Amino acid sequence: MKKGKTIVSLFILVIMLFLAACSNDTTAPTSSVENEGKETNEDAEIVYIGYSGPLSGPAAYYGENTLSGLQLAEEEINKEGFEVNGKKYNIQIVSLDDKYMPNEAAANAKRLVQENKTPIIYNPHSGGIAAMQVFNEQDQFIVAAYSSEPDITQVGNSLTVRIPPTYDGYIEPFTKYAMERFGPKIASLPTATQYGKDWSEALLPYWESKGGEVVYNTAIDFSKETDFFTILTNALKDDPDVLFIGGASEPTAKLAIQARELGFEGGFIVMDQAKLDEMKAISGSYETFEGAIGTMPLIFSDYPGTKPFIDSYQAKFNKDPGSEAGFHYLSLFIFVEAMKAAGSVDDAKLIHEHMQDGIDSLPEDKKVYVVEEIDENGGFNLATQYGAIEDGAVAPVE
Amino acid sequence: MELLIQQLFNGLTIGSVYALVALGLTLVYGILHIPNFAHGALYMVGGYVTLLMMTNFGVHYLLAILVSMAVVGVLSVLMERFIFYPLRHSPPIQDKVAAIGILLFLEALAQLLWGADYRTMPTPYGQVVNLFGLTLTMQRIIIVITAIAVMIALYAFLKKTFIGATIIAMAQNREGANLVGINTNKVAMLTFFIAGALAAIGASLTSPINLVFPGMGHLVILKAFVIIIIGGMGSVPGAILGGYILGFTESLGATYLANDYKDIIAFLLLVLILTIKPNGIFAKGGV
Repeated sequence: MKKGKTIVSLFILVIMLFLAACSNDTTAPTSSVENEGKETNEDAEIVYIGYSGPLSGPAAYYGENTLSGLQLAEEEINKEGFEVNGKKYNIQIVSLDDKYMPNEAAANAKRLVQENKTPIIYNPHSGGIAAMQVFNEQDQFIVAAYSSEPDITQVGNSLTVRIPPTYDGYIEPFTKYAMERFGPKIASLPTATQYGKDWSEALLPYWESKGGEVVYNTAIDFSKETDFFTILTNALKDDPDVLFIGGASEPTAKLAIQARELGFEGGFIVMDQAKLDEMKAISGSYETFEGAIGTMPLIFSDYPGTKPFIDSYQAKFNKDPGSEAGFHYLSLFIFVEAMKAAGSVDDAKLIHEHMQDGIDSLPEDKKVYVVEEIDENGGFNLATQYGAIEDGAVAPVE
Repeated sequence: MELLIQQLFNGLTIGSVYALVALGLTLVYGILHIPNFAHGALYMVGGYVTLLMMTNFGVHYLLAILVSMAVVGVLSVLMERFIFYPLRHSPPIQDKVAAIGILLFLEALAQLLWGADYRTMPTPYGQVVNLFGLTLTMQRIIIVITAIAVMIALYAFLKKTFIGATIIAMAQNREGANLVGINTNKVAMLTFFIAGALAAIGASLTSPINLVFPGMGHLVILKAFVIIIIGGMGSVPGAILGGYILGFTESLGATYLANDYKDIIAFLLLVLILTIKPNGIFAKGGV
C-alpha cells in the first residue's frame, strides 16, 4: 500500500511537470503588490494606490490588462520617485480581486481605505464604480473609474474621475458610417451585461431616428453560451445589413466569425469594449471583419506618447497593449501630477481639485492619449479616434 | 422550413456537447452518488491539453484529443484516489465541498499556468458546408457524429462487456457487487477515468467553435446538472436524452418564442418534467 502511494505521488509530480512544461505563459501576472515595497529610492515614502478589479473568473483577462497599465506606470514613476512639498514619494499599487462583482468591489474599497489609506482607488467596471460611489465621499477617496458609462459622471459624485470617453460619443459616427456603407437594417446582439444593455438603448433609438430599422434585438450571455449558431440563425433570418456586437474582444470575434460562416456579408458596429486588433488575433486576419467600425486600436493610434508606451509595454509584457492598459498608464501619471499640484498625497478632495493642473503638466511623452480637460463632473474630455476595417486593414474614420 | 431544419441541426450540435458532458457526470453519480462539481474543471483541462498539444508539440488534432482523454482520465482517477476515496465514510456533504474545492483549485491552477487570456483552438475541419440551404461546418458535423459514436460505444461497453457489467452492478447495489467479488475500487477508478475522458472529448470537440479559457467549464457544467436531473441522476440513457432535450429546447425556444427567455423555457421544462416524474425520466433501474 505504501509503495503504491509513492508511485502515485511520483505520477502526480510527473503530470504537474508536464502541465507546467506545457505552459508558455509569458504574461504571468507580476504581483509586485502586497507588502513588499520597491526599494528603488531608499528614503522615499510610499503612496498606496488601490485597484479592485476582476483578477479571477471569466473577466480575469480584462482585469489583468487594466492592471498591467498601472504596473508599468508604477515601475516608471518609481525609477525616480516624485516630489510633493519637498518630500520624496514612491507609488505602490495594491491590487485586490473583486471577480467583476459590485459587492466585492465595495468591500475591497473599504479594505483598501482602512488598511492602506489609499487616496485613489481604480475600478474597471460600472457596477463596482457605482458601488464605490455610495461611500467614497465619506471615506475620502477618489474613484478612478474606467468605464465609458455616462451615468458614472452624471450622478454628481464629487470625487470621481472617469478616465475613458463616454460611449454616447460613438453612437452618431458609428451609425452614420454603417448605415451609409451597408444599409438601414440592423440586428442587435450585444453582451448581456448592464453595459451592453445601456449601449444598445443608446444606439437603437438613434439608429431608428435616422431612418433605420431594428430587425432583431437580443443580448448574448457570453458566460453561458457555448455556440452562437442558434442566435445568429435567428438574427440573420431578416437579412440585416449591420450587426451590432460587443463584449470582451475574443468571444465577440467568435460571434462575428460564425456570422460570416452563416453567410452574413454586411458590416459590424463594435461596442467600445471589444477592440479590433484583439479580435483579429482570433480570426487571423482583418478580412473577416470587413466593414466593422469600432474604437481605434491603441497600436494604430498616433498620439505623442503612444509610441514610447507601446515599446515599453511590449518590452515588459511581451504583447501589444490594449487601450485599457494605455488609459490606466496615462491616468496614473496624471494623478501623480495632480498630487504635485495639490501639494498633498492623501487629501482626495484637494487632489481632485487639481486634476486639471495634473492634465496640463503631463509630460508630452506620457500622452498615450491626449486628454484635453476634465469636465465639472469629473470626466476626461479627449478627442476620440475611430477605426473601420476597409479592404482588410484598419483605416481611421473622420 | 429551412429555418426550422437549421435550428434543429444547431440544437443537435449543442445537445451532443451537453450530452457528452452530462454522461461523465451521470456515470460518477451512478457509482458513488457524488455530484462531481469538478467535472466542469476537467472539461476545461481537457480543452487546454488538446490545445497545448497542438500548439506546443504540433500534434494533429485527432491525436491531441486522444492524449487529452488520457491525461484528463488519469487526472480524474487521481481525484477519486486522493479525494473522494478517503472521504468514502464521511457524510455526503463533505464530498460536495471537496468537489467544489477541486473545481476552484483547478481553475486557479489553469489561470496560473496558462494565463487568463482566451485562446483559440485551430481545427483542420473549419470548412463551411452548404447542404440543401443549410449552413454547417465540418467541425459541427464531426461533433454530432463523434458524440453519437461515443454514446453507442459507451452503451455497448456497459451492456455487452464484462467490465461494463461490473459498473452497472456497482451502480445498482454497491454491497451486492462487492459480495459477488467485484473489486469496487477498480470499478470506481475506471468510472472516473471514463468520465474524465468524456469531458476531454466534449471540450476538445467544442473548443474550435468557442474559446479555451480557465472559466470555460462554467458554460456547460450547470446545464449538465440540469440534464442529469431531467434524465434521472445516474442514468446513461437519461443523460443522452436530457442533453438533446435541452439542446433542442434552447434552439427552438430561442427561435419560436424569444431568445431572452430560452433559459426560462429550459428551466420550466425541468420543473414540468420533475412534476410528472419527480426522479427524472429514467429514474432508478441502474445505469
